[in-house]
Amino acid sequence: MARTKLYTGIYVALFVIATMQVAVEQIGLLESSYMLALGLITVFSLVKAVVVAGYFQHLVWEPRSVTYVMLLGFVGFLALTVAASYSIL
Amino acid sequence: MTDDNQPRTDGGTATALPGDSHDDDHLPPRWSLKRWLVTTNHKDVGLLYLATAMFFLVFGGVLALLIRAQMWSPRAPGTGVLSAMAYNQAVSLHGLIMVFWFISPFATGFANYIVPLQIGAEDLAFPRLNALSYWLYLASGILVFASFFQGSSFAGGWTLYAPLNIPAFMPSIGATTTVFAIVVFCASITVGGVNFLTTIHRMRAPGLTMRSLPLFTWSWLLTAWMMLLAFAALLAAVMILLSDRMLGTTYFAATTAGGSVLWTHLFWFFGHPEVYIVFFPALGAMAEIFQTFSGNRIVGRKWFIVSMVLVALQSFIVWMHHMFLTSINLEVKTLFMATTIGISLPFDLMVFALIYTLIKGRIRWDTPMLYAFGALVLFIVGGITGVFLGAVVLDYEFRGTYWVVAHFHYVMVSGVTGLIAGLFYWFPKMTGKTYDEFLGKLSFAVYFTGFNLLYFPLFLAWGTPRRVFAYRPEYVGWHRLASVGAVILGIAFLLIIYNLAKSIVAGDDAAANPWPYSTTAEWAVASPPPIENFPGKPSYVSGSLEFLDDDATAAAAADGGTAATDGGHAALESGHGDDVHVDHASYWPVTIGLFTLVTALGLSGLQVGSYPSGLEGLFYQGASVLGVVGLLGSITAMGYENFTAHEGGLGEAWPFEGVENTKMGMWVFLASDVVLFGAFIGAAIFLRVAYGWTQWHPIPHNPIPGLVNTYLLLTSSFTVILALVAAQKRSRKGVVASLTLTFLLGLGFLANKAIEWVVLFSEGTGLDSSVRASTYYLTTGLHMGHVIAGLLVTAYLIWRAWNGAYTDGNDETLEYFGLYWHFVDIVWLFLFPLFYIV
Ligand code: HEM
Ligand SMILES: [Cu+2]
Repeated sequence: MARTKLYTGIYVALFVIATMQVAVEQIGLLESSYMLALGLITVFSLVKAVVVAGYFQHLVWEPRSVTYVMLLGFVGFLALTVAASYSIL
Repeated sequence: MTDDNQPRTDGGTATALPGDSHDDDHLPPRWSLKRWLVTTNHKDVGLLYLATAMFFLVFGGVLALLIRAQMWSPRAPGTGVLSAMAYNQAVSLHGLIMVFWFISPFATGFANYIVPLQIGAEDLAFPRLNALSYWLYLASGILVFASFFQGSSFAGGWTLYAPLNIPAFMPSIGATTTVFAIVVFCASITVGGVNFLTTIHRMRAPGLTMRSLPLFTWSWLLTAWMMLLAFAALLAAVMILLSDRMLGTTYFAATTAGGSVLWTHLFWFFGHPEVYIVFFPALGAMAEIFQTFSGNRIVGRKWFIVSMVLVALQSFIVWMHHMFLTSINLEVKTLFMATTIGISLPFDLMVFALIYTLIKGRIRWDTPMLYAFGALVLFIVGGITGVFLGAVVLDYEFRGTYWVVAHFHYVMVSGVTGLIAGLFYWFPKMTGKTYDEFLGKLSFAVYFTGFNLLYFPLFLAWGTPRRVFAYRPEYVGWHRLASVGAVILGIAFLLIIYNLAKSIVAGDDAAANPWPYSTTAEWAVASPPPIENFPGKPSYVSGSLEFLDDDATAAAAADGGTAATDGGHAALESGHGDDVHVDHASYWPVTIGLFTLVTALGLSGLQVGSYPSGLEGLFYQGASVLGVVGLLGSITAMGYENFTAHEGGLGEAWPFEGVENTKMGMWVFLASDVVLFGAFIGAAIFLRVAYGWTQWHPIPHNPIPGLVNTYLLLTSSFTVILALVAAQKRSRKGVVASLTLTFLLGLGFLANKAIEWVVLFSEGTGLDSSVRASTYYLTTGLHMGHVIAGLLVTAYLIWRAWNGAYTDGNDETLEYFGLYWHFVDIVWLFLFPLFYIV
């Protein structure tokens, strides 16, 4: 398989994004503008997750239905977390 | 006998074939105990489920009669047949046993037996896992039984509400065992769910599209999806509860902001889908029976199916109607009142479809039809009374009263009634015997009378507080009527059991198809069906069911495959006919079940971090160690065992064409794991919101060790990929080296984590220091558990790879393990920022 190069590139990218996540904290963004920092960190996590699922777990090469199954679980998590948290605001 | 049948799409029709003399190859005979211990055949497992569920029906029923005896008069504590605590246990365990250990497993029994027959499969996708589901179920049932003998069983109601569920208020070991039993039960459901979803999606005969899938199979398919996701949330809830009880975390402690509301969210996020999980199989059975006994295809079949799908989806967004009297805000209550009204709409449509099917047909009132019709009537009463409860303002009055008790018994026991209809309907198929029709009808008369005498008065005595044996004296008449009804209903169950037991021993032989107008494939084979189910490869390609001989099969399979899919894999698998020998027996499922039981019993002795002292403590510790060692050994042995099962993808496989069975199973399992972790993470977020989001800071002082662990895990994901690449290049050295690296990286992760924890402990931050600490330890601990499990598998893989596995073109195992490992990685990508940075 000639995908080794692709995998390596992705691995490096993941490494960098993880570092950036901590960098956001280290430069003090959490103190100066919390919501922005929280948003950035969340987006970084999501990007990493999508890349790992898409390429390391081969989801981009599987039938779309497999992705939907995983999304079903994820939407369940979102529904529970968001609605429950909202209910006590 | 099947001459009456017209070709139909659902299941098609076929001429019944004589039973095949084909021996139950390599299985001990039915009269030997060994057969039932080692069997993995879906029909045997189905019968085991049915028999065990019936036992729990009797168990739960006895508890119910005790409750009704206590309710004969309004009581002061300490008077009547039960002490106050005994009554609390009876009420709690009656509910738990009926909901978990009777109804769902009863339905699972039918699903096991009937679904493969209906879809033209010779067995489930993973026969050993199917047996394992059963043994885990039995183990969990034995745990429940045992819990009565460990001080006291759980006594806080079947909903296990917080904070009553924590050790401060319910200290007995037995209560922990009850919760543990639910954990094991969830495991059983998850294994079963994965299996059924793979089977129904990927093992259908050629030509059997989703559109033409029989309704019972449809209802079970949706049940399995709901189970998969809902039970994962329950698993999270009970695991957290166990951790509070065994390890001393403080999620549900009375002093925690949001603790008891958190429990209700987690529980009812599972709990409302659960009521449809309970009812759907009955609905499917009723639909089959209505069609057969009215000689009429269900009216609006397509819309019936669409409604079921809608209800299954909507069932996940109505849970807060169980929380109208908690401190949740009015906006969210109103929203959930609306979604609750919304879910009753597709249900109305289904009820009308069933009614019109009857009106349009000529009904034959055999016993199954009587029960099915009775179920519909009862369901309508239950549904209407539920709508009252779904209105916020009315619920302020009704919540916590016997109105609720009456409502849910009408709906839930209507489901039981539908399943009893199924029991009579499929009894001739499963046993090859005919039941006694007169006794059957008599039992229905007694049943229906007893049911309404028991539950209707509860509406009239609705002012009685729920779960309490003291009530206003003016209700005494209604409660006595209910107690009399309970005895009559009990007699009806005995009549049913007597009728069927007698018929198994001395009934007339049943024909392959005793029911005119039946249309589904289980009636096209002998009663009971031979071990391989079908006399040839079933196919619906011609529009009705045919059994093809094996040469024709290859062609038909290829045809079916190409018609339905893009044909990718059909050619590859054709010709895979009789030359593959399929296995039916394995000792490992029952062994794993046994060691699960031992482990759970042992660990239940752990109370807030310590075992009891003396001999008792020794017993619990010994059992814990023995159980865990045995579990590891038997799981490894099962993995190592050669076991050939039927492959999928030979016929219809929408929408998972080309996703091989095991791979699909893995993905489906991971989806449930998403919900499990999701619920843990959701719980942490919820508690943080309750506490004040920005007042809450990460427990570790410094994100850098966490970042190092992120690097380690990312790298280990990468080395798993390299292992797969090496396997594809057939390099044994490469595989072993990459896996060893993975193992070491994982070990590094754990070591780093261990250091972090040791430092925190030494600073005095323990699991019980604060709810903030609890969420940090438990959520990352659950992740660590996943890492440890992954490393155990990695060690096994290294050993196998060393001996030459995976480099012979069969590298799927590595790929599937990779799916799991990357998933563990992904979870960390969220845990890391949540618990170390923000
Ligand atoms: C149109 C249909 C339904 C509606 C609108 C409805 C509504 C409700 C509501 C609002 C409650 C909460 C009452 C309270 O605690 O104050 C409730 C309780 C309950 N319902 Fe239903 N329901 C429906 C159908 C069903 C079905 C089909 C089942 C089961 C097969 C079921 C089983 C239950 C159970 C077990 C409870 C009690 C839970 C507990 O222990 O607190 N319901 N229902
Ligand atoms: Cu509900």
